[in-house]
Amino acid sequence: MMGAPEAFDISVVSGMKFFDPHVHMTSRTTDDYQAMADAGVVALIEPAFWLGQPRTGLDSFRDYYSSLIGWERFRSSQFGIKHYCTIGLNSREANNESLAEQVMEILPLFIYKEGVVGIGEIGFDDQTAAEEKYYRAQLELAKEAGLPVQIHTPHRDKKKGTQRSMDIAIEHGLDPYSVIVDHNNEETVKEVLDRGFFAAFTIYPFTKMGNERMVEIVKQYGPERIMVNSAADWGISDPLAVPKTAALMKIHGLSNEAIELVTYRNAITAFAQSGQIDEADFNTPQNIDQSVKFEGNTILRGGQQPRADKSSMIIS
Amino acid sequence: MMKESDLVTTNKLLLDIIKTNLKGEGLSWLGAWETTPDQINSIGKTFVMAPRKTGKAIVQLSDSQLAALNEADLTYIAQWSIDRLCRVWLLSNLPATDQDKLYKAISQLCLSAEMNEAVALYSALPFLPFPEIWALRCAEGIRSNIGSVLEAIMENNPYPAQYLDEAAWNQLVLKAFFTEKSINVIVGLDERANLALALTLTDYAKERWAAGRKVNPQLWRLVGKFTNSEIFEVLKTGLQHYDQVEQRAIALAVAGSDYQPAKDYINTFPELKNVLTTNSLSWDQF
Repeated sequence: MMGAPEAFDISVVSGMKFFDPHVHMTSRTTDDYQAMADAGVVALIEPAFWLGQPRTGLDSFRDYYSSLIGWERFRSSQFGIKHYCTIGLNSREANNESLAEQVMEILPLFIYKEGVVGIGEIGFDDQTAAEEKYYRAQLELAKEAGLPVQIHTPHRDKKKGTQRSMDIAIEHGLDPYSVIVDHNNEETVKEVLDRGFFAAFTIYPFTKMGNERMVEIVKQYGPERIMVNSAADWGISDPLAVPKTAALMKIHGLSNEAIELVTYRNAITAFAQSGQIDEADFNTPQNIDQSVKFEGNTILRGGQQPRADKSSMIIS
Repeated sequence: MMKESDLVTTNKLLLDIIKTNLKGEGLSWLGAWETTPDQINSIGKTFVMAPRKTGKAIVQLSDSQLAALNEADLTYIAQWSIDRLCRVWLLSNLPATDQDKLYKAISQLCLSAEMNEAVALYSALPFLPFPEIWALRCAEGIRSNIGSVLEAIMENNPYPAQYLDEAAWNQLVLKAFFTEKSINVIVGLDERANLALALTLTDYAKERWAAGRKVNPQLWRLVGKFTNSEIFEVLKTGLQHYDQVEQRAIALAVAGSDYQPAKDYINTFPELKNVLTTNSLSWDQF
């Protein structure tokens, strides 16, 4: 699959808006935010996750959840990108049962907050009994709060893990249309769609989905209930995965309507079931010349940052 | 802070505004809250989910409600969203019987507050019972880097001027300049001006000039009446910049001082002498 490297030409999709429904911005730099805004990403969802090493106490979880709905959301707004999140106990750390119990107790304090669009990312990693226990408990929480669920499917034994995640969600009485099954591949997508779930694809180099394969999947299954995301985090990943995939789809002749559904609209449809997404918050045109002031007041909204011209040698 | 009788009147007014701004689901949610037996135990979830029940529109006011707000010196509330107003009202009406319990409940909310929750928490400071116990929390809020949170503390909020000690107050004012907040709506600005702040602000002005940047003219308002020989030297530098706005602000500041050498110096600028003698300047113009 590795052809000659091809430069990403953003002009192919210029003017299009993108929604990245899975990206861990906590692990990314401000340069990434600027690049995403430049490439047309107007909104994103940051799922609660593990941080690369296990947390040892409840306060670390509390501060992490607080940062997702507080500081990270604000940081994102400075670059004109609307930031939502899903809140949950991830599968790896569900295995520390004494801590998991405490985390479950504070989750209700967070899931009703503004801009929390679902419970996530939850599901299976090793597929242990503890993972199943807290997955089930959080499905109940989602049902009670009327929130969508964002399911992380395992890397290892993916197909069985994906099937089991869906079986359990249905067993708990969740409507498949309120469940987004993430990290799909060619082996899982058909069953996920056939059973009425949303199917998300993570475009992530080497380990997950490549975007040339993604083009083929949309050609084969159509754009309905399919969405792509970057899942960019502290690993080798690409926060521009969504606009890049859109550009590749365009070059390969997919219709604008199909591209819009897969890289923008379907994610909104799925997560807006939380009642927490107002498209008007991010589909108004952004101001271009940020340094303009009107009667001494900056036009930058909500503490947006003025941009430094990085091509200039002079830094003032 | 507010007298207890005023607080009762204000709370009634706020509730009246909230009720006229809520519809079906929001009203029944509020009704259920009003009859909740142990409110302190359930404030967490109620406070957090407020926008889901109230929406986030800016409040609509009748003429009489607006007049009542003006009367109570609360005109700025007309700019609030309904969820913010509702959250402030929820907090200010918590039973004031057990100070410890109330302090713990509200501190718990601060620990996990997102941006809009933090805005509501700091907006509520002037309406909370036991006002003196929130001073450290208020000072902590000034350390925030989030614009709207700082605005909630700094702008149109009577709490800081009444309860912050001098160090925390000076930090608030200095940070307001650094983060380009609307200085003229800081409550108690002139009353709490002090020499330490004036000296810090003149240093700040010198730093700005050295970097080739402008100085917010409102800064001189806090400097004028503390003019001494050291500050006078800085004022002279500013007057020599020939930036008309800056010159006029410095002139107005000196008009409020008793330091004669500075007054004499201003009089050597005919234009400044003229605007001062005709009383045609005020801080609201800057």
